[in-house]
Amino acid sequence: MANNNRRTVTVRIQRFNPDADAKPHMQEYQVELVQGMTVLDALHEIKTHQDGGVTFRRSCRHAICGSCAMNINGRNTLACKTPLKNEIDKHGRVTIRPLPYLPIIKDLVVDRTTFWEEYLRVKPWLIPPDDIPEKEFRMSPEEVHALNNAETCIMCGACYSSCAVIGLNKKYIGPHALLKAFMRVLDPRDAAPAERLAEVSGADGVYRCHTIFNCIDACPKGLNPTQAIETLRKLAQKRQKYEQARRERQKHLNEPIP
Amino acid sequence: MRVFQMQRISAIALLIFLTIHMIVVHYPPFHINFDNILVRLQNPVWKAIDIAFLFFVLIHALTGAYVVITDFERAFDYRKALAWIAVVIGVVAFIYGSMTVWAFQPPA
Repeated sequence: MANNNRRTVTVRIQRFNPDADAKPHMQEYQVELVQGMTVLDALHEIKTHQDGGVTFRRSCRHAICGSCAMNINGRNTLACKTPLKNEIDKHGRVTIRPLPYLPIIKDLVVDRTTFWEEYLRVKPWLIPPDDIPEKEFRMSPEEVHALNNAETCIMCGACYSSCAVIGLNKKYIGPHALLKAFMRVLDPRDAAPAERLAEVSGADGVYRCHTIFNCIDACPKGLNPTQAIETLRKLAQKRQKYEQARRERQKHLNEPIP
Repeated sequence: MRVFQMQRISAIALLIFLTIHMIVVHYPPFHINFDNILVRLQNPVWKAIDIAFLFFVLIHALTGAYVVITDFERAFDYRKALAWIAVVIGVVAFIYGSMTVWAFQPPA
């Protein structure tokens, strides 16, 4: 049975081969729009049937690995969760560029070295207390709620490369790492909130944020790095007191939540 | 963090001083008028208010400029030198401005 919903749409991809090109250029492809198709599906279609040289990152195709973050019609997002039809309906065609402000390795693949360096700077792992509870750490619903789903960040880099401050200064820690720092600082199991707050309150830390909100707009998981940064700013003003309160809280980590 | 604190505190102060300034200088019944300014600046309390206003304006403007300039990666590496330049500009401008306000006398 013929599918009347099928039509051909234009997909523009920014191409750059460092071995052959002096600067990036746009290349157009025609793709048959199939119902339910995502932008990542369109990229696969192009790579498989039209131009095997088109280079991009992808892995899970279910918006959980963060590999396929790219700039689609001017907005950083995940190609695997962006319906092609929505973009066509809104803009008439799809323009795909690599994540901004990062060095391009090839086509849509960018060098994320600074992204991961800044991430490691905030020690994103849990630093447990000396007295580890016998059975389990118990967090109250309020404490979990305060994390504001920060633990669901998939480290795709959409927020990082939409941040105007990162565009000017790669020494800024960045919204992705500050969101992780926020998560650890608010985690009652973590034993070093003051150390973390000292690290993020330096000249290249939370006070460099201009609250432009690009990170919120870009996050494909609907997280709020700006709110995390604002919280870190407030806590950094009273970090010793906060550390003291944390020590008190950790004495009751294995007690039932009232 | 100190720059952030200075900017926030000066912003709150400016909110107060700017409100006073706008009401006293620009809005009825205090239409802007040189004679009114002459009368007001004979009062040492108004001189003190203007000097405090100048102080907070300088802090807010210079910390703001410092933050914007050090947003650039190249300038970021020279932030200590830039901070000292801002301090020197601030001190000089404050002394000069304060002396001007304090020495103001209505023409005989």
